[in-house]
Amino acid sequence: MSRPLRKLLDKAGMAVCVLLLVSPALLFFIWMLSLSLKFEIDNGAYPPILIPDRFAWKNYTTIFEGNSFLLYFWNSLIVTGAATLFALVVGVPAGYGIARMKAHKSAVVIMIARMTPGLSFLIPLFLLFQWLGLLGTLWPQIIIHLVVTVPIVIWIMIGYFETTPMELEEAAMVDGATRWQIFAKVALPIAKPGIVVAFILSVIFSWNNFVFGIVLASRETRTLPVAVYNMLSFEQVSWGPLAAAALVVTLPVLILTVAAQRQIVAGLTAGAVKGG
Amino acid sequence: MSILTSSDRVVGAASVGRTKRLRPSYWPFVVPALIVVIGVIVFPWVFTLWMSAMEWRIGEEQRFVGLQNYARLFTDVRFLEAMLHTLVYTALSVLAPLVLGTAAALAFNTKLPARGLLRGIFVMPMMATPVAIALVWTMMFHPQLGVLNYLLSLVGIGPLQWVYHPSTVILSLVLVETWQWTPLVMLIVLGGLAALPTEPYESAQIDGATAWQRFRYLTLPMIKPFLMVAVIIRSIDALKSFDILYTITQGGPGTASETINLYLYSVAFTYYDIGYGSAIAVVFFVLIIMLSLILLYLRQRSAWNTGDGQ
Amino acid sequence: MASVSIRNVRKSYGTVEIIKGVSIDIQDGEFVILVGPSGCGKSTLLRMIAGLEEISGGTVAIDDRVVNDVPPKDRDIAMVFQNYALYPHMTIADNMSFALRLKNTAKSEITAKVERAAGILGLGPLLGRFPRQLSGGQRQRVAMGRAIVRDPKVFLFDEPLSNLDAKLRVQMRTEIKEMHQRLKTTTVYVTHDQIEAMTMADKIVVMHDGIIEQIGAPLDLYDNPANMFVAGFIGSPAMNFIPGSIGGDGFTTEGGDRLPLGGRVPAASDGRPAVYGVRPEHFRLADDGMAAEVVVVEPTGSETQMVLRPLGAKAGREDRKRELTWVLRERTGAKPGEVVRIAPDPALAHLFNPDTGLRL
Repeated sequence: MSRPLRKLLDKAGMAVCVLLLVSPALLFFIWMLSLSLKFEIDNGAYPPILIPDRFAWKNYTTIFEGNSFLLYFWNSLIVTGAATLFALVVGVPAGYGIARMKAHKSAVVIMIARMTPGLSFLIPLFLLFQWLGLLGTLWPQIIIHLVVTVPIVIWIMIGYFETTPMELEEAAMVDGATRWQIFAKVALPIAKPGIVVAFILSVIFSWNNFVFGIVLASRETRTLPVAVYNMLSFEQVSWGPLAAAALVVTLPVLILTVAAQRQIVAGLTAGAVKGG
Repeated sequence: MSILTSSDRVVGAASVGRTKRLRPSYWPFVVPALIVVIGVIVFPWVFTLWMSAMEWRIGEEQRFVGLQNYARLFTDVRFLEAMLHTLVYTALSVLAPLVLGTAAALAFNTKLPARGLLRGIFVMPMMATPVAIALVWTMMFHPQLGVLNYLLSLVGIGPLQWVYHPSTVILSLVLVETWQWTPLVMLIVLGGLAALPTEPYESAQIDGATAWQRFRYLTLPMIKPFLMVAVIIRSIDALKSFDILYTITQGGPGTASETINLYLYSVAFTYYDIGYGSAIAVVFFVLIIMLSLILLYLRQRSAWNTGDGQ
Repeated sequence: MASVSIRNVRKSYGTVEIIKGVSIDIQDGEFVILVGPSGCGKSTLLRMIAGLEEISGGTVAIDDRVVNDVPPKDRDIAMVFQNYALYPHMTIADNMSFALRLKNTAKSEITAKVERAAGILGLGPLLGRFPRQLSGGQRQRVAMGRAIVRDPKVFLFDEPLSNLDAKLRVQMRTEIKEMHQRLKTTTVYVTHDQIEAMTMADKIVVMHDGIIEQIGAPLDLYDNPANMFVAGFIGSPAMNFIPGSIGGDGFTTEGGDRLPLGGRVPAASDGRPAVYGVRPEHFRLADDGMAAEVVVVEPTGSETQMVLRPLGAKAGREDRKRELTWVLRERTGAKPGEVVRIAPDPALAHLFNPDTGLRL
């Protein structure tokens, strides 16, 4: 076989391979989109229809009408936002301290926290929140989401600060900086990419969290995943609006994933963290 | 004598003070996080351990029962079955993503056009909200209206009952788990492939090794530590899997797909048997830690160089 | 500007002693270079002067004030690091002014000082750029600029030229020396490169295994090395060491050849074993002297370097260290295989005790 032809075949083979690889993900989300844009009749058709003759845009409007969806969106935003911000405020300095003290053993606690099933945090904290009378507010969820966000942030920041050269901080020491000035003016600005990674992953895993919500959320304090799940438990629910709701819930995350895939990949391979 | 000891102490104190002054202490950076970790992570651990020794139902008096809750586990058929389901589910949910993820990593490790975008799409399943994708899978699994049975009918298979029959429910759930988490294995292995030195490959090529031989004798041994990391993480996550199972089957039909985690949820938050639930949580936790330690030990032995920091 | 006094300084990590009691006096305005092979403790010693390492024993004083317990920021020193340690997120101007800004110096004063330093180093057009946009040599200059701006009591340099290519290194060597002649700031400079030490220093401290082998002016070390380590470390190509014994009024090599000592025979040392040291450029053709076979001739243009094997020594790995190096100014027609007889001017020969390595 001639060389150019062989090269071409190699390339075509590789393209087919890659298409095969991404197709489960791609087809799934395309089907999800299709479900969310079809009327009940089209969703129940056999053989299934991929692109319907008329789009059911009203699937999207109905979810915002009947189900206090905006309130749940807002709840999700508050819980994820607060849990992530708080995790960054305490976790970034902690990652710095642990990295500089070379206290790698303390990272074991973070590892074990990562291994512990979310439910085993839930039982004691549920009782604690009940005793404190916090149930019915967003506080229990914000606090328990720290179980997810704080370890992610600390873990990623330890890894990041360990790779930043000590020489820079020594230079700052000689230049007359105090330890707080070194942290604020040298270490922190250099660690910005690491903070971005920690932020993104913390947001995603907090946003996606479901198990804490089903136990701790009341009707007014549901986050989006819980709200979507509750839509399912209504009998006779139609597929169109349900798929539309599911898509709305996960869309912010999907956009973030594709937009920041480089940071996400870096963060996941560094710590291989996952929440809950 | 007493003078001697006191002066010794002064010298000791002075040297401690010196250490403190010259090199800044980093403790203040850690303290806030330490308080949070103790509050939301360590306290629940300890409290769970304590509750597991109690007869404790919500709304009733608590009383100390020692190891009685643990003894009950051995005779609880539902728990033992859940244990079995968990082991089968975990084993399959580690193996399938491991094989597929490694293959995907090898494909992604080549020069592809739009590699970043493709990788972004490939990673989407594991970042998407689990509840949302579980809902869509539920629709796809539907025996009459689901798209999966239609696709199978095109190649002349089926129809299957998927998650609606005890014999296929676990396999169907493993399919979702595999779909969702193959990307993570891919990323970890890809990280390993990127760290490989190129010289051995060039040398092997000169020696006349085929592509398969290069994979079998060079790549595979060298990425073994990364595969072990993937196995560890995958095992932990599969053991803990909750969102997908709960949303799609809630452990059903009957209890055919009930894992320890789902049973734990039912005991604690459906029957409000907090004491027994805590005991299950403790056993579950010990199981995860033990498995992790075994895998970590195996990983240590499989490391081809001590320099890799994963 | 200041003097630095290092008294009996020790450093140990656990039970391992890295620096075993070192004393150096550095005068105001002096350029002192700590030189030695890697692992000799020179960098650790510099970091102790900077305050980046704890001092396990002894004292370091700057201007007669003991600074053992003083953190780096209060020592009024500036340091140039091996990898430059430029703050990547700051412009060159901000890098240079960082220390001044930390001290809340007036804006006008900062600008003036930065501009002056930039002028000295030719960094003017680069002030608005970031470190990543600079070449290695430019970064090196910024690191120096950052030190100059501080106008500190002491400059510390930690192998600042080791990341530069050979040509740039020679150029920066000159620039650092010029800078010192201009500013006259007390400087402590660490390097493993003895040529850097020879060309730049007012005073060289040769370190080895945590102790000081010798302190002295560059040419003083070259002409009068205190022991075989210094003799072998300073000078390139290295000094030839010829084992043998003292006898009569000369030196007898192991091969039985006679080398002159010019009447410098130590008293009552007849028959005593010794090592005869000759710098490569000090050999001359001689009627008596040592018989050796030419192995390799390496002309460099300005001079010729020859590797010789003393007769009686067999070819082979073990005899490598018996081989002699001879550097001639003039060109030569010598061919490999030829046998020559060489000997140094006795006044330029060195004698060492083979057991202690000390000069006799």
